Amino acid sequence: MAQHLYTYGVIKQDDLELEVDGVDGADRIYTVDYRTLSAVVSDIDTTDPDRTDQNVQAHNAVLQEVLQYDGGRSVVPMSFGMAFKNARTLKGVMRGARRALRSGLQDIDGTVELGVKVIGPEEHPVPEEVQVSIADRLSAVSIGETDNDLFSDRLVLNKSYLVEREQRAAFDEAIDAIEEAHGETLRVQYTGPWAPYNFVDIHIGAGQQSER
Amino acid sequence: MLILDDLLIRPFVSLLDILHTMALDQTYDTSAIRDELKENQLLYEIGERPEAEYRRRKQELEQKLSMAEEIREQMRDRIQVKR
Repeated sequence: MAQHLYTYGVIKQDDLELEVDGVDGADRIYTVDYRTLSAVVSDIDTTDPDRTDQNVQAHNAVLQEVLQYDGGRSVVPMSFGMAFKNARTLKGVMRGARRALRSGLQDIDGTVELGVKVIGPEEHPVPEEVQVSIADRLSAVSIGETDNDLFSDRLVLNKSYLVEREQRAAFDEAIDAIEEAHGETLRVQYTGPWAPYNFVDIHIGAGQQSER
Repeated sequence: MLILDDLLIRPFVSLLDILHTMALDQTYDTSAIRDELKENQLLYEIGERPEAEYRRRKQELEQKLSMAEEIREQMRDRIQVKR
């Protein structure tokens, strides 16, 4: 079988080689460089991997590993399924998207994405002042935020926050304080760190070099 | 006024047809079913919904979603309900 490259994300140029479980059963990730950028990749037999739960989980797990490995790195994440025929094709795409990739890396340098869902009780709505005070508390310790889908009537807040690594402890404390103040009525689901999917918007494809 | 609009534009479409399509549209609202799936997952993850109930509900909603997608596909060329 021909060996293709599955791409997880792009970091500042760095030689990285890790033994981790990747997409389609890969057991090693490494980097392919284009000038000041490095794509984090693993070998794969197809350019069209199946979007199974296991593969999506592996994609996210690799990004989390890179985010936290050896003091942590900033990663511009690729969406699931970005597989390239070979290193030459990948480098061509990186060349086409280099400005967007560099600018994306600059925007998220030294940050992580954290997810917060606050779930209200079934019986009664949560007062607006409580909702505002929770949102304000989290905004104060982050440098960016995006609203996510309020897919349930029980959701009081569903946001992703961009947090500086140095502010991570302060963000944890804010979550603890919210749980302490409202733990009897509200539940908090706190996830991450994630690669900042919600704060970089770069679209690249194997067949073209589009960026936006 | 969507019913009136549709009747004015397409007088040959009966009111009954429109009401029927609206009812189907509501019953097979795939985004609402997807939201229920996400809510089920969330309530399980925060420990509010026991695993057995989560699995049963998930299976039920996935079947409902698959059926809704099929029905919507069949309805695609029929009357469009404006929202």
